[in-house]
Amino acid sequence: MDVFVQLILNGIMLGSMYAIIAVGLTLIFGIVRVVNFAHGEFLMIGMYAVYLLSKHFGLHPYVSAVPVIVLLFVVGALVQRFIIQKLLNADEHIQIFATVGLSTALINLALIVFGADLYSVESPAVRQSIAMGPFTVLVGHLVIFACAIALVAGLHTFMQTTPLGRAIRATAQNRNAAMLMGVRVERIYIISFGLGAACVGLASALIMPIYPVSPTIGTYFVLTAFVVVVLGGMRSMVGAFFGAMIIGIVDSLSGYYIAPDLKEVVYFAIFLAILIFKPTGLFGFGRGTE
Amino acid sequence: MSQMLSLLARITEPRVYVALVALSLLVIVPALNGSPFVVHIFVTICVFAALSTAWNIVGGYAGQLSLGHTMFYGLGAYTTAMLIQHFGLSPWIGMWGGAVVSIIVAMVIGYPCFRLRGPFFSLATIAFLEVIRLLFIHFHGVTGGSAGLIVPLKLGWAWMIFQDKFNYLIIAFGLLLLTIAVSAAIRHSRLGYYLTAVREREDAASAAGVNNTRAKLAAVAISAGLTSFVGSFHAMYMTFLEPATMFSLTTAVEIAMYALIGGLGTVFGPLLGALFVVPIAEAARGWLGASANGLHGFVYGVVLVLITITLPGGLVGTLGERFNRLVDRLPGARPRADRMAPALKQITGTPGETVLETKNLTMKFGGLTATDNVSVDLKRGEILGIIGPNGAGKTTLFNQMSGFLTPSAGTVTVRGRDGVMSSPTSADAFARLGVGRTFQIVQPFGKLTVVENIMIGAFLHHRGVEDARAAALRVAKLVGLENLKDVEARNLPIGDLKRLEVARTLATEPEILLLDEVMAGQSQSDTQKMVGIIRAIRDTGVSVIAIEHNMQAIMSLSDRIVVIDSGKVIAEGDPQKVVRDRRVIEAYLGEDFADAQGL
Repeated sequence: MDVFVQLILNGIMLGSMYAIIAVGLTLIFGIVRVVNFAHGEFLMIGMYAVYLLSKHFGLHPYVSAVPVIVLLFVVGALVQRFIIQKLLNADEHIQIFATVGLSTALINLALIVFGADLYSVESPAVRQSIAMGPFTVLVGHLVIFACAIALVAGLHTFMQTTPLGRAIRATAQNRNAAMLMGVRVERIYIISFGLGAACVGLASALIMPIYPVSPTIGTYFVLTAFVVVVLGGMRSMVGAFFGAMIIGIVDSLSGYYIAPDLKEVVYFAIFLAILIFKPTGLFGFGRGTE
Repeated sequence: MSQMLSLLARITEPRVYVALVALSLLVIVPALNGSPFVVHIFVTICVFAALSTAWNIVGGYAGQLSLGHTMFYGLGAYTTAMLIQHFGLSPWIGMWGGAVVSIIVAMVIGYPCFRLRGPFFSLATIAFLEVIRLLFIHFHGVTGGSAGLIVPLKLGWAWMIFQDKFNYLIIAFGLLLLTIAVSAAIRHSRLGYYLTAVREREDAASAAGVNNTRAKLAAVAISAGLTSFVGSFHAMYMTFLEPATMFSLTTAVEIAMYALIGGLGTVFGPLLGALFVVPIAEAARGWLGASANGLHGFVYGVVLVLITITLPGGLVGTLGERFNRLVDRLPGARPRADRMAPALKQITGTPGETVLETKNLTMKFGGLTATDNVSVDLKRGEILGIIGPNGAGKTTLFNQMSGFLTPSAGTVTVRGRDGVMSSPTSADAFARLGVGRTFQIVQPFGKLTVVENIMIGAFLHHRGVEDARAAALRVAKLVGLENLKDVEARNLPIGDLKRLEVARTLATEPEILLLDEVMAGQSQSDTQKMVGIIRAIRDTGVSVIAIEHNMQAIMSLSDRIVVIDSGKVIAEGDPQKVVRDRRVIEAYLGEDFADAQGL
């Protein structure tokens, strides 16, 4: 029983990590209506940035979160402005090709610049474990969990209460109607894409002390994040949060009870089942086949 | 097969011989040069061009962007290698085993995934690729796992392993020719047109009688089989297999990329894409060695992004027309004679018998009842008008009569060509039974020409392309579109689009025609033309139901009128009687108006 509870706990911690990445992906998909296949590579950029800031300036990853979030916002905004914006009215497959191409280019750029080696940032305090009764969690994981909740709550409040949030929601629901109401849709898209990327900036600062970075780190995380987004119903941040928790727990349990190298098979199976049989997501928040 | 023979018969045409000469350069150039490195580059070009050509059948023609296609490549490779290892079977036999495995996997995966659209289909294919890769690693006892599998080295043609690399090129070139021939045959066959129709508009395709899922499954099965062949060969060429390279997402993206660069959905696009990019990448790898780690991938990615922004039609899509016109000036071109099918035989059957009947049709959307207990019947040879205010439920009724919506309660029965009444369940089944429908909001296949649009309907009864074309030309003349036959549908004005909508439906040679506001938003002269067309259609024995707001037109056309309001039938009968019905006037103009008229 103790093992089981510990596994659930581990799952929730892991899920929080996926939640932060998936919330960004949901923002971009829900508002700009583009599936960003390069999302994982944004994470990779963020992690290398955290690594460089730590190596050259001695910044703690949590401190470098601030500049990295800004950096990723800018990267996201630029991608939207110079690539996605030009393709908004293009065929869907052209949009897919564009972000897939961006992803390929960024992975290989990292390979050229940093090589295939793993880089990590030592941060002993983050890796310390705290005992909670018979169970233990890492400090770093606890921080991620807190940040995930704060991020979802913060973004939700932002969307519901501020004028900009309202404009973003209006744009997400009907681009043309929003435009007729005087919303500057192109600017909303740039901000939304930037926000989605900025979430990944936060994630990279939080993940860096726990996972080493390599050019393909993004692929590893983002495929899982896609599973989460689909599970959460594509458009809903709250859905993405709970979807992430479920995937985290499934990951943790199946790694222990089935086989460590098959845990991805288990949640890809869930992913395919959801896509095919319940495309509105587990909680019915969205519409998957649109 | 017959298409391949007809290709052979057309060898004197410039487009055919130019293509064959250009293709043969893929063998002649390395034969003259002879260096193993050059031969290797050409083998790689042929392999990737063949993979991309096979992918294009699903990704280009059918528009289903698979990013997991290397699963078939890997399955072909592994099946062949394991059949050699465990059973001593020659790869020439093993490749068929691989193809069978791949086709089965393709159908099993395709059936559920084809319900997904756009990026979600792509994501699902990626997920399946990952699952297969992980399973191959997990069951290492059978597959060799991450450590990989070495193909037993037996030399000679029987084992497809050679010391002289040139032999590999011959096989690779042969595979490339095979995939291009199959791809070209599909492009110019009924399946090819169907796939384009499905890619452009699924609903309009099923209304024309296309079974969308079956068309896509046929495409993915053919594509998977061909991809698997290439995988089997490549396994023999590399002699070492590991899950990471055989089931690689990166390679799957590259395969799709060649097709995009060359031109999605074109026969020679994928080959051109591979020809353009592979040598650059291979040369970089060969000359710069390990220091170029990542460079070719970076170039691929950047090229991909640039192409999407600047040349989304690819090389062929952008320059193909100009090139074709140049080629057509060469000697040997034969002008194509258009054949027009003769008029259809009069539809026989007892006039006045019921051909379509709805009983107590009820359709609920959440709390809204769009049609409420509607019972309507259509008699053979009549024109039945359905009128009613906006939102009355007329189009919802049509959607149930043509299989696009399944009623919440009640039944639709149709008299088939054999005289038996039955209740089909899908839109394409309705079409095959002889029920044709048009859409209120026109749904042309924008990138097809007028005659090709009509052909999509004509294929229902004419399998051959030439026959379908002849039938389509007959219909084009009937509705007055024969002068516009080679214009792409997206360039037509609304009046012509409405006629095209009717023409495509008419080409399915229906016995029952459902027309949804074909006169709405038309000019006076277009309306008159349409009235003439509908009368002409009825005179061939077709029974017609028309939803219409144009009162003058529908009153003069209809033999009988049904009035629907708020989902219910409120009046039915002779046009002159119906217009004077108090409830009808109320429904249209309000109670006060009815009172003022003293009714």
